[in-house]
Amino acid sequence: MTRSFVAKLAPWLFVGPAVLSVVVFLYGPILASAGLSVVDWNLLSPQVDFVGLNNYRSLLANTDFQLSAWNTFLYCVILVPAQIVLPLLFAVMIHAVRGSRMERVYRGSLFLPTILAYSVAGVAWSRLLNPINGLFNEVLVFFGFGPSRWHTDPDLALLCVCLVTFWKSFGLNMLLWIAALANVPDTLREAARLDGAGPWRRFFSIELPLISPTAFFISVTTVFSVLDDIVGVVDVLTGGGPAGRSSNLLYFLWQQGLQFFQFGPASAVAMVSIAIVLAITCAQFWFGEKRVHYQ
Amino acid sequence: MTSTASTASNAALRRGAVHLMLAALSLLTLFPLLWMLSAAFTPNELITQRAFRLWPEEASLSNFRIAGEKHPIWWWLFNSVLTASAITLGKLAISLPAGYAFARLPFRGRRFLFGLVIATMSFPAVLAIIPTYIAVVKIQAFDTYSAMIVPSIPYIGFYVFYFRQAFRSLPDEMFEAARIDGCGIWKQFRDIAVPNVLPAIAALSVISFMGAWNIYLWGQLVLEDSARKTLTTGIAMFADVDGADTPWGPLMATSLLSVLPVLGLFLLAQRYIVQAFSSGTVEK
Repeated sequence: MTRSFVAKLAPWLFVGPAVLSVVVFLYGPILASAGLSVVDWNLLSPQVDFVGLNNYRSLLANTDFQLSAWNTFLYCVILVPAQIVLPLLFAVMIHAVRGSRMERVYRGSLFLPTILAYSVAGVAWSRLLNPINGLFNEVLVFFGFGPSRWHTDPDLALLCVCLVTFWKSFGLNMLLWIAALANVPDTLREAARLDGAGPWRRFFSIELPLISPTAFFISVTTVFSVLDDIVGVVDVLTGGGPAGRSSNLLYFLWQQGLQFFQFGPASAVAMVSIAIVLAITCAQFWFGEKRVHYQ
Repeated sequence: MTSTASTASNAALRRGAVHLMLAALSLLTLFPLLWMLSAAFTPNELITQRAFRLWPEEASLSNFRIAGEKHPIWWWLFNSVLTASAITLGKLAISLPAGYAFARLPFRGRRFLFGLVIATMSFPAVLAIIPTYIAVVKIQAFDTYSAMIVPSIPYIGFYVFYFRQAFRSLPDEMFEAARIDGCGIWKQFRDIAVPNVLPAIAALSVISFMGAWNIYLWGQLVLEDSARKTLTTGIAMFADVDGADTPWGPLMATSLLSVLPVLGLFLLAQRYIVQAFSSGTVEK
């Protein structure tokens, strides 16, 4: 009797801490954000005023918000394809030299930036990009071009953040692609080769369809990671500037909430971001699931 | 005959070209780090002299000394080790049993709860940050180790997912004998399951340690006293990086100090890390 009772209870004890911790620390705060987004309150005021959708309304009129939303779109358009296609290209190259002694060296070198902190990545790059005594400008000047202001130039800041973010995080997707390519049976490649298919044909007709589950996984996770990764890089490199030109929605949230302590508007941004993230995920599952070929 | 010979030499040529491209790519990727390494050992007053030099003319450790005089960098190192270890232990302690239960113990609501936990894999961390920050301030935990450690633990979606895979791949027979011997659920978990997934545990410990070591935004927020900061958050205390008189030497020396431990771990465990990141994630 007691024994079977314990056996029934055991699974709950095993999953309890994990479930409780994600509910309390992840789902809870998101619900709390929903609450905060409809009130006017800061840490100091004793009074909590319900303001309905005012925070959302004032967001829509806020030009900084509009700019960061537009930038979020730009970041996605530039970085998501780059973070998917270029790592695949690198993976194909590494796959081509598999078994050689250098394989590990290449893989390790290209993956290395992934293990760094954002602050370290920012510091490492700021010395290259520094507008006064950075290396990039020395090279430009050496070849007779004027010095550039790089990440302090309103028109280049976003691209500089893209560059550093890409450098910092392409390694993970590359690893996933390498693993996927290694899972394609060599007999299939060989069969296609004997049938006269060239390398391009083999890639598009054999490998690409067989790695499509990975493609789906990567395309879903990359959208999130791009949005998230940028926050750290932006904070170190540009602080969202100049004039908000390199900010994105999550960084805007961070600034509003934790630098200016505007909890209401910041939480409204959180809600808008969650809605966007959910919409993108649903769209990906809607379009992606049907096209993926599972072995 | 000639055609096969020429195809073979073509293939060799192509392989050589790929090697060349990969080598160039690797160097390009490593360059910002090599550049940092060189600056860390170049006396600060020589760094901004306008001559490109990757190898320091007169290598010295003075930057580490200067950084140590300005900021408590050795405390930062200690704090980084402490918080990263605590976060890693916490993550393992809650995600190992959960992964086991989701893999091997049938119970009602298993699918739902599993979905609930792994859905957090794709949460941008920033989304939960404001209420968590308010809670930290309200319970007066601001600027404590706990404020850094506890809220960093629950990001366990990937861990639970990965451990579930590992436990699922163990053969049933392994547990059958123990069950006949009257081993309870806890003993089966502790004495049979866990010892058989040690590579998975090793891989995720390293991944977790590296991730926790690199926590930046949250640390920036809740650690204020300089003596409580970690290396990656302390770095931001150096002067701004766009100016003309950034103390590059000490800054790069401190950055290097923060890179070395994770780099060492990475080199030691590269095989496991690569495996952990690339297996399981695509399984339907």
